[in-house]
Amino acid sequence: MNSDQVEPKARIRRRRGGKYAVALATSSFILAACGSSASSSSSSSATTAASSGPQTITWWSSPLGAGSADIRSNLISAFEKVYPNIKVNLVSAPTNTDTNRAQLTTQISGGSTSPDVFMGDVIWPAQFGAHGLALPLSKYLPSSYWSQFAPGLVQGATYKGQVYGSPLFEDQGFLFYRKDLLQAANLPVPTTWEQLQQEAVQLVKSGAVQNGFVWEGNSYEGLTCNFMEYLGSAGGNVVNSGYTQSTINSAAGQRALTFMRSLITSGASPASVTTMQEPQAESTFVAGNAAFLRNWSYAWSDSQTSAGSAVVGKVGVTTLPTFAGQSGTGYANIGGWNLYVNPHSTHLSADLTFIKWMAGTTAQTMLANASFIPTLQSVRQQFAASTTAPPPLQIAAKENLIPRPSGSPNYAAVSQAIYTNVNSALTGSSSVSAALSSAASQMNSALSGGL
Amino acid sequence: MAVVEVAKEAEVGSPTKQRPKANKQFRDRNQIMLARLGWRFTTPALVIVGAITIFPVVFSIVLSLSNVNITGNGFQLQGFTFSNYSLLIHSSEWRYSLGFTVFYTFVTVFIEVVLGTAFAVLMEKLSKGRGPMMALLLLPWSIITVISAELWQYVYQGTYGVLQYLINSIGFGKPVILGTPTPAIIAMMAADIWKTTPFVAVIVLAGLVMLPSDVFEAASVDGCSPWQSFWKITFPLLRPTLSIAVLFRILQAFGVFDLPFVLTSGGPGTSTTSLAILGYKVMFNNLEFGPGSAVAVSATLLVLIGCLLFLRAFRSQVNGGDL
Repeated sequence: MNSDQVEPKARIRRRRGGKYAVALATSSFILAACGSSASSSSSSSATTAASSGPQTITWWSSPLGAGSADIRSNLISAFEKVYPNIKVNLVSAPTNTDTNRAQLTTQISGGSTSPDVFMGDVIWPAQFGAHGLALPLSKYLPSSYWSQFAPGLVQGATYKGQVYGSPLFEDQGFLFYRKDLLQAANLPVPTTWEQLQQEAVQLVKSGAVQNGFVWEGNSYEGLTCNFMEYLGSAGGNVVNSGYTQSTINSAAGQRALTFMRSLITSGASPASVTTMQEPQAESTFVAGNAAFLRNWSYAWSDSQTSAGSAVVGKVGVTTLPTFAGQSGTGYANIGGWNLYVNPHSTHLSADLTFIKWMAGTTAQTMLANASFIPTLQSVRQQFAASTTAPPPLQIAAKENLIPRPSGSPNYAAVSQAIYTNVNSALTGSSSVSAALSSAASQMNSALSGGL
Repeated sequence: MAVVEVAKEAEVGSPTKQRPKANKQFRDRNQIMLARLGWRFTTPALVIVGAITIFPVVFSIVLSLSNVNITGNGFQLQGFTFSNYSLLIHSSEWRYSLGFTVFYTFVTVFIEVVLGTAFAVLMEKLSKGRGPMMALLLLPWSIITVISAELWQYVYQGTYGVLQYLINSIGFGKPVILGTPTPAIIAMMAADIWKTTPFVAVIVLAGLVMLPSDVFEAASVDGCSPWQSFWKITFPLLRPTLSIAVLFRILQAFGVFDLPFVLTSGGPGTSTTSLAILGYKVMFNNLEFGPGSAVAVSATLLVLIGCLLFLRAFRSQVNGGDL
């Protein structure tokens, strides 16, 4: 009887011991999972993989062209022909820049060695550099490499003296217009914003077209781009040179935002422009329902593809207008994408070979033929001089460029402060001056590391 | 006959009475063995559940109380701080998001419960066709929110939206539904109500079916009108079921993310930025994991407090319903 009672207790003890063991095992498993990221990184920086045997690198990239026009696989096979020892494995990334970044940051900060090379937005260098999510490429590539790009691009990819991204293709805002409608109404191609507004109103009122001028007014990153263009034409900027203070709440800011709001109130732009991102604005124009469109260079090839376009042969492209009284052309915002290297990559030399090839004449020419603005100065000049090149490439150099304030590692929060407040002024839910002062205070808090 | 049966039962029962102690011990050991076996079977599941629910919750609390720096090698936690929370309290965006989320939760849950109960009462009255009706009713609930939000996008869209077309064709102009704060909030609520009313209806219908019919018979014999019998009998008896439905809905509505993410991405301006959207933006766009976790923890704490208060107020109902 006595022994009988002892036995279960012993078993219970053993059982408890087992439970602790399981708990310990699991927790150590979790710890191991967390710890592995720390240990893998220390080895990776030292690795400059031997270039002897065949290697496979992973390239993370969103589509370069819609559907069958996507040139990513063409680029890869052309590269593999020149470097048969390096295989490139393509991972298709999300097209939405913010979703794309969220996936990358989770993966890279988790210590993943893949992707080796990723195509990232031009506004990322500061954020990725500050958080160690991209390799400082200037440590591995000589200054002769960086000097072959068009001016300003390398500077845009630099954070605290190090270059983090190798420019792949550039982009900027253009004004697309309907040649046929302007001709029928005997109107010139507008060179000032005021002229554009007036012509758009006239075309809508005459019943020639449903909407006048469509652009990207939704509460998202693209609105920051649009706003920067009006602000640049008005002679302003959003931050001071040291990235310590917002300068958005100025006379130029007032002029830019008041004008943008008046586009809607005057009927030059439909009220729904405040819900449009690039695809909605472009599809309205391409369907023949707008006279003017502000968009990136790819809108040219989309509007000239007969499959989805009702305006083939009726579209003109020009530089963005400026405000009356200002000289020269308007300001276009700089967009585009760079190639970055994952700091955990174990194939560094292969990564660099791939990046260098993508910045070379062959790849840059392929990109330019697909109506992406090349970053390599020689190819860019060659296309700008050609009369058969896609029109945006011919006029790209004529535009004044204004970058977004992406030199701050808190750029995402800065941009959020801009586009949310600009959007609420556009919808009329806050006044122009209230929106600007609220944007300024939110930007200042973002610049000093706030929410 | 009956006597014989009783005798048999007595015979069967008698050995138990004779050896109660031994049997009890046998039962105890058996139970211990069973329990042990049970633990062995459930431990892996419990460990996994613990790892994927408790660990992240604890980790985000830790993050929210630290200076977090995200690096290429994961998180660097530098010291204990309350600054993430003080940042929230001083941030007008967080205060707005909090107000919006609370308002949104109240309005949608209230309307869903009223409509859901009405639907359930109607369905209960149906003798034929309750099955097909139920299937039809459950359709919105079964569609993944992201998909149904995309469908609503077609309705609300400012360029080719169906609703805008309808409003325009009856001569009320072209309202930009998702581009104007108040209509955008109402539109989002409508999409939510459309989707989750069936959920409430199904729970309430299950409660209705379980109600004893004799009470209603007695009421009708006593000359109770249907209206009276609903408010005096059905509603009080349904309260336990309703409390459960409300609790579930509060928990879900307070964490609303997919609907504003697809429909408005938090806009126009910040007018549909729920706490979950704000947390996402702060964490994954701005890479501010400290403040972002503080947003997440603040939302969790508030909904937890809300639910505890609700449970306290309705404790008798929740427990009394044998649920």
